[in-house]
Amino acid sequence: MASDASLTVHAWAMATAAMVSASCGLVGGLLVVRRMSLLGDAIAHAVLPGIAVAVLAGGSLGGPAVFAGAVAAALATVWLTQAIHAGVGLAEDAGAGVVFTSLFALGVVIVTLAASRIDLDPECVLFGILELAAFDRVRVGGLLVPRAFVTAVVVFLGVAGGLAASWRWQVFTAFDPAAARAAGIPVGLVTSLLLAATAVAAVAGFEAVGAVLVVAMLVVPAATAELLVQRMHWLVVVAVGVAIAAACGGYALAWRWNTSAAGMIAVVLGGCYAVAVLMAPGDGILARAIARLRLEWRVAREDCLARIWRACEAEGRDAAHVGDPQTWLERMAGLWLERRGVVRRKNGCVTLSDHGRREAEMVVRSHRLWEAWLGRHAELPIDHLHPPAEWLEHHVGAAMRDQIEAELSAGQVDPHGRTIPPEAAG
Amino acid sequence: MTLAASMPLVEFHDVTVAYGRRPVLWHVDLAIDRPCLFGVIGPNGAGKSTLLKAALGLVPVVGGYTRFFGEPLARVRGRVGYVPQRETVDWDFPVSVHDVVLMGTYGRLGWFRRPGGRERDLAHACLERVGLADLAGRQIGRLSGGQQQRVFLARALAQEADIYLFDEPMAGVDVRSQERIFAVLAELRDAGRLVIVVHHDLRTAAEWFDRVALVDMRLVAAGPTAEVLTPENLDRTYAGRAELLEELGRAVAERGRTS
Repeated sequence: MASDASLTVHAWAMATAAMVSASCGLVGGLLVVRRMSLLGDAIAHAVLPGIAVAVLAGGSLGGPAVFAGAVAAALATVWLTQAIHAGVGLAEDAGAGVVFTSLFALGVVIVTLAASRIDLDPECVLFGILELAAFDRVRVGGLLVPRAFVTAVVVFLGVAGGLAASWRWQVFTAFDPAAARAAGIPVGLVTSLLLAATAVAAVAGFEAVGAVLVVAMLVVPAATAELLVQRMHWLVVVAVGVAIAAACGGYALAWRWNTSAAGMIAVVLGGCYAVAVLMAPGDGILARAIARLRLEWRVAREDCLARIWRACEAEGRDAAHVGDPQTWLERMAGLWLERRGVVRRKNGCVTLSDHGRREAEMVVRSHRLWEAWLGRHAELPIDHLHPPAEWLEHHVGAAMRDQIEAELSAGQVDPHGRTIPPEAAG
Repeated sequence: MTLAASMPLVEFHDVTVAYGRRPVLWHVDLAIDRPCLFGVIGPNGAGKSTLLKAALGLVPVVGGYTRFFGEPLARVRGRVGYVPQRETVDWDFPVSVHDVVLMGTYGRLGWFRRPGGRERDLAHACLERVGLADLAGRQIGRLSGGQQQRVFLARALAQEADIYLFDEPMAGVDVRSQERIFAVLAELRDAGRLVIVVHHDLRTAAEWFDRVALVDMRLVAAGPTAEVLTPENLDRTYAGRAELLEELGRAVAERGRTS
């Protein structure tokens, strides 16, 4: 059993992770819709030399000097990337790759060289110090609170405040920068604000989970939200929700299994994304598979009915001998229709109920109307008409059929000389 | 508008634009002094869109200047509306049709003011004018190309500008949407607005525009449509291909690289 003290420590660490993750999810929303995730990655790494220099100059971790250094480093990254792009013509993603790795490496070198003199070691830079965060405390209004948590809250409020104040302009700029600029919106300033917010969130994330995994916090919650919702404000809300849930869930699992909290949080984030890919409404893998299956089932049912109807037509009576179904799905559909009484067997012959006949007629009607339309308007040879009609017959509604019929003007006969059934009443 | 009769609504004065070091538009002098439907016509790569972007300060101008109502753009921004080409934005962006139209009001609202009832009503009215009121809540990616272009048009209307610049509003648009868009543009003109449209289709240009400018890396001719769209001018615009200018541009760019 964990003692009360250790429970408190873990609760604080979890709260810190959630706060940091929320800040990252917030800026990540805008980065992802602006297709700037790579820049987020770059900034998350490139802030290191800024932090290192600020600490060397006497700033404390989580203090204003460190954040100022980080923002400066972030803006330098973007500026350098664009300068390389404009000056040498290197593609922007490659330029960012050159700049942020160089700056990050420079940061690592500075930290390593000065390890004896500053309170910042390479281990914590790469993997964060979430587990230790709860031990360094400050007094806030009579309560001992971990310094890292206070920083995380201040960062979240700052980032949320900055983005909320510029929110509409952020969205306009993200969606259509040219029109935004023409409308007088200070696009450069708006973008710089987003980059600064990214740098600030990255610094907080850096301390908690390290340089590598903070990228997951920036990108994955927003990428997950993008799959689930279609409005910008909901995207941010969902991203922050996912970020907080993954941070808490990841930390709890790491505690349970006694493994790296930062690693576990990132794994849970990846899991959230995978679930979203699978379950997203409309475009998710599951939703698409269900929609496809339902369509195939309807097609099989309609094919079955139409086959019986055509056989009856050919034999000139209400019941007919019908050959074996062509697919197992159609066989299933036939059995299903029989059980519901739409299809009936009588002395080796098959017959349709009134309802079944009407449904079959509409399928055949769609088929023959389309053949007639293609024959007349697309002037296709007669052997080209059947395949497209066979496919289209399942997708044409009553309104469309009427429209096709109106454009045909003459005759109730398809190009093969067979009668086109009239539209069902009602 | 109580402007002196001599004051052009838009004036391009000796405008030269370069991408990097390569000039793509040379010494354009053009003044439009009355509200009309004004077409900017020319072949691909002639610098038509660049001309609009230069006027709006979206691309750096090497020489010359543009004035609106006799003033630099910065002082009259709210009175100038711009509609970029449809392909320049990501239509999967998570916003609704109504959200996009509302953006037309952001410029005059400033940092902190939220769009209120007036702005929402205006956005709705603009959507009605382009025939999309019933799709207001839809995500913009789930619209046809013509509908997307009409959303852009509605956003421009919501800006309530006096001069409108449209970049290829008819490109990739179905015939019904084209007619609808043209009808709205004509309404704007009739309401005393100046509507400048970059357009590539000569056949429709002749019937739609009151005045046109033929552009091919330089201004070939400008004026009333019937006077400008002569076989001789068209020949100078389309057949000439401004080869000399293009070569010159490349030479300037090369020079810059090796020096």
